[in-house]
Amino acid sequence: MADIRLRSIEKMYGETAALCGIDLDIRDGEFLTLVGPSGCGKSTLLRIIAGLEEQTRGEVEIDGKSVNKIRASKRDLAMVFQSYALYPHLTVWQNMITPLRLRDLSSLERMPFIGRFVPGQRDKVKSLHTLAGETAHTLKLEQLLHRKPGQLSGGQRQRVALGRAMVRKPRAFLMDEPLSNLDAALRVHMRAELAELHRNLKTTFIYVTHDQAEALTMSDRIAIMIDGEIIQLGTPDEIYKNPRDRRVAEFVGSPKINILSGDVDESGNVSIMGNHTGIRIRKRIKKVHLGIRPEHFRLVNGNGATDSWPFHVTYKENLGSDFYLHGHLNGSKNRIITRAAPDEVGRITIGETVKVRARQGKPMVFCDNDCRIDVMQEAGYGSA
Amino acid sequence: MAARKNFMGYVFTAPAIILMLVILLAPVFIAATLSFTDYSLGNSSFNWVGLENYLKMFSRSTYVKMITASVTYVFIVVPGSIVLGLGAALLIHSLRRFGDIYKTIYFLPVMASLLAMAIVWEFTLHPTIGIINKTLASGCGNFPEIFFSLGWLPFVDGSSSWYSTCCREGFPLWFGDKAYTMATICFIGIWQSFGFNMVLYLAGLTSIPRELYQAAEMDGAVKGWDRFKLVTWPMLGPTTVFVVTISTIRSFQVFDTVEAITRGGPVKSTYVMMYAIYEKAIKHNMVGMGSAIVVVFLAFVLLLTFTQRYLVERRVHYS
Amino acid sequence: MIGHATSFSEYMKHIVLIFGSLIVILPFYVMVSYSLKSPHEIATNSGGFIGAQQPMVDEYCVKLGNPPEECMQKPLVYNYTQAFKKAPLLRYLVNGLVVTASIFFIQALIAVPCAYALAKLRFWGRDFVFSMVMFCLLIPVHTIALPIYIMLAKVSLTNTYAALIIPWTISVLGIFLMRQFFMTVPDDLIDAARMDGMNEFSIIWRVMLPTAIPALLAFAIISVVAHWNDYFWPRVVITGDRSLYTPPLGLREFKGDADGSIWGPMMATATVIVTPLIAAFLLAQKRFVEGITMTGMK
Repeated sequence: MADIRLRSIEKMYGETAALCGIDLDIRDGEFLTLVGPSGCGKSTLLRIIAGLEEQTRGEVEIDGKSVNKIRASKRDLAMVFQSYALYPHLTVWQNMITPLRLRDLSSLERMPFIGRFVPGQRDKVKSLHTLAGETAHTLKLEQLLHRKPGQLSGGQRQRVALGRAMVRKPRAFLMDEPLSNLDAALRVHMRAELAELHRNLKTTFIYVTHDQAEALTMSDRIAIMIDGEIIQLGTPDEIYKNPRDRRVAEFVGSPKINILSGDVDESGNVSIMGNHTGIRIRKRIKKVHLGIRPEHFRLVNGNGATDSWPFHVTYKENLGSDFYLHGHLNGSKNRIITRAAPDEVGRITIGETVKVRARQGKPMVFCDNDCRIDVMQEAGYGSA
Repeated sequence: MAARKNFMGYVFTAPAIILMLVILLAPVFIAATLSFTDYSLGNSSFNWVGLENYLKMFSRSTYVKMITASVTYVFIVVPGSIVLGLGAALLIHSLRRFGDIYKTIYFLPVMASLLAMAIVWEFTLHPTIGIINKTLASGCGNFPEIFFSLGWLPFVDGSSSWYSTCCREGFPLWFGDKAYTMATICFIGIWQSFGFNMVLYLAGLTSIPRELYQAAEMDGAVKGWDRFKLVTWPMLGPTTVFVVTISTIRSFQVFDTVEAITRGGPVKSTYVMMYAIYEKAIKHNMVGMGSAIVVVFLAFVLLLTFTQRYLVERRVHYS
Repeated sequence: MIGHATSFSEYMKHIVLIFGSLIVILPFYVMVSYSLKSPHEIATNSGGFIGAQQPMVDEYCVKLGNPPEECMQKPLVYNYTQAFKKAPLLRYLVNGLVVTASIFFIQALIAVPCAYALAKLRFWGRDFVFSMVMFCLLIPVHTIALPIYIMLAKVSLTNTYAALIIPWTISVLGIFLMRQFFMTVPDDLIDAARMDGMNEFSIIWRVMLPTAIPALLAFAIISVVAHWNDYFWPRVVITGDRSLYTPPLGLREFKGDADGSIWGPMMATATVIVTPLIAAFLLAQKRFVEGITMTGMK
């Protein structure tokens, strides 16, 4: 159990900066996810926490003590690798017991034959076996203990990798995209299992992924990293509902948030393609970007509504429970995706133009350099 | 169309099949047959002698010495060239810079004609004008003698050390003294072949995933030796099996150094099998006896390769 | 952070490796150095690496009745001219070239179609042929040199170019390597070529061979290195006729009638024999190392 504190971590590869001043407090027992597009520096940051890489500047503190000078194996952290990194020549059992043997037995005690004669070695070994046995039981690995990694399926290897990390009860778990080598169905399943494991172990988890869905489903808090910086840190709910940056808004959520460019008049009213939005901002700028998530559109029935926008449908995507309508607002080339319930879209045909509007209070306004602009007042569509 | 493809299969493989039969398989049977005779080239007739040739091989001192020499050579050169090859590969692989330079240098002997280099070594180790003995001799009475005789250590009598004895009584005749000849021939063998093993090991090392080392570090393998035992050595398993087999087969075939430098001597101490085949069967025209050596030789090689195949499939095949 | 490579351990590694390099290079140094020196410098171990290059008297030239003044030569020139004059080194080099080139040419000519058939054609007995190749892979040709020699003697082919080449015409290793490579070529490529109307010969020549250049090159390197340096087989099969000697045989013969004064020219000969492969290796190191390791991948 540990809280981990990062203070202005920088990492340079030659002249290029991979991480530029990361500050992050990870609370004891928290499930924190570092998420971002590939190359954003999230794995590098994880490796710096682990001690597998050295930061150029900055401090890593675990439980209030700096571990800058402490090597990876002495930090008492466990890591699950993307490729699992199981020892291919050892059985599942041997893979799981290796970290225990290396830590708890001296090199003399580990020697074949001779080790047995070291006083106390037998008891030690016995307790290690009990520990490993418990872990194997928790992860339902008992049937596989005598197999080698080469004889296991992807999901089973994943479990063994977890087991190897769990056996020695580390202060924190570091996971580097552990689910990315699994197929889609198994990944969804493992998400739930990992979250449950975290609830039971109550240990700090630091989880790296490029998959926003994993981040949203499992974490207590999410840190969104882009270009070597954390641009937003918050609970999944905050991140999704209230992104402070256009890049965050675009990264989180699937399908992606729709971005429409809007014009602002003198009094701060935002309009899109000459259509009213009912949104007013205080900031005095000419151009803004409007972000609207697919589920925040609503189909408008009838032809009387003047405050709705004409939407030209080019493609209907049937997901069973939902429909996604692809198309564009008249006059714009931007592709827009809206979500609709199946009974709403029954009569809509491809090529038709329907009316949509954004749900009140949902659109987000961003400035040209991605910052979020607060909405001053949003009038109801009817009242405009 | 299918029939035509069929036919082309035979056209394309026929030359290879015929040549395999004539050049590789027929000689094995010829050797096996002749090994039971006293055949010699030029004679129109021969006698069947049964197992006589084989019995001789394990009773006559010449042939016992032959087998001893071959086995000794193999047992020194194979471990020597593997340990040095692996050691060099590990060192070079762990270097931050200039690794390629060493790799190039260590590989040079593999490229050079062994016969030419054998002659150069003979010259380098020449008792009177060779650079080695001259350099050693120039150290007598100076710092090298004092240092290497270990006389500066407490309780060590420097004057009875190897170096000091040689300073008094002359440095060894590397290829004339029975005590040194085999070792020197082995040294040349190791010198020539460890670069080859090194290259194979380097290829093996680069194919070990980095994440395995990182996993070992996270698991608490603090010492280099622990990481070597846990990751490097097991992961090099397939390479090692191959290296052991090919080094052994090659060492059994040593000929150039022996023929050019010692001709099997002194007192048959370097009378290795290939040289014996050459001398007995081709120079002395004792084809029957030579064939028996060939058969024993082949049996060694086959046994080795089958062991290798077995090991590769059983032990070191991970996936 | 793994390894914690301090500069100290880095230096220690370099020291060990440099020491090893010195031992590895020593004979090459001796060879080149002595090929440049006069007999006196060799005997007294003086003159540094290239010797003083004091002109010396060519005794053989004097014996021919020339005045000593005309027979003065620099040791370097003397050694290398002797190497080419006293023994017909040029002839040996040409022999070596002819033999290695023909061996590789015939090996490829036989191995490539066979490998193609084993990898890509279906015919009855294909698996049997392949297991035959795998079995023959176990037989090192050197070990069965004696029966091959007897066969050649029976048809009076010893002491000919043919004797130097014939045993090596079949390279099972070559067949194996090329087959493994051809297995990786997609069938679609061959089917597309068939659709374009190519026959099997032109598929090999115009489709398979161009894609197989790297494998063929590796094979070439293995073959050429082995046969340029081979000493055992030429020694067995060429007994009298000096005009058929390959470079290693020529050098060995040189040593046979060696007396003290001939060390210089002999080292010159050795240098000339060793240089081509070393030079090729230094120029195309990557290819050589890849080619050699390829044999280890089976």
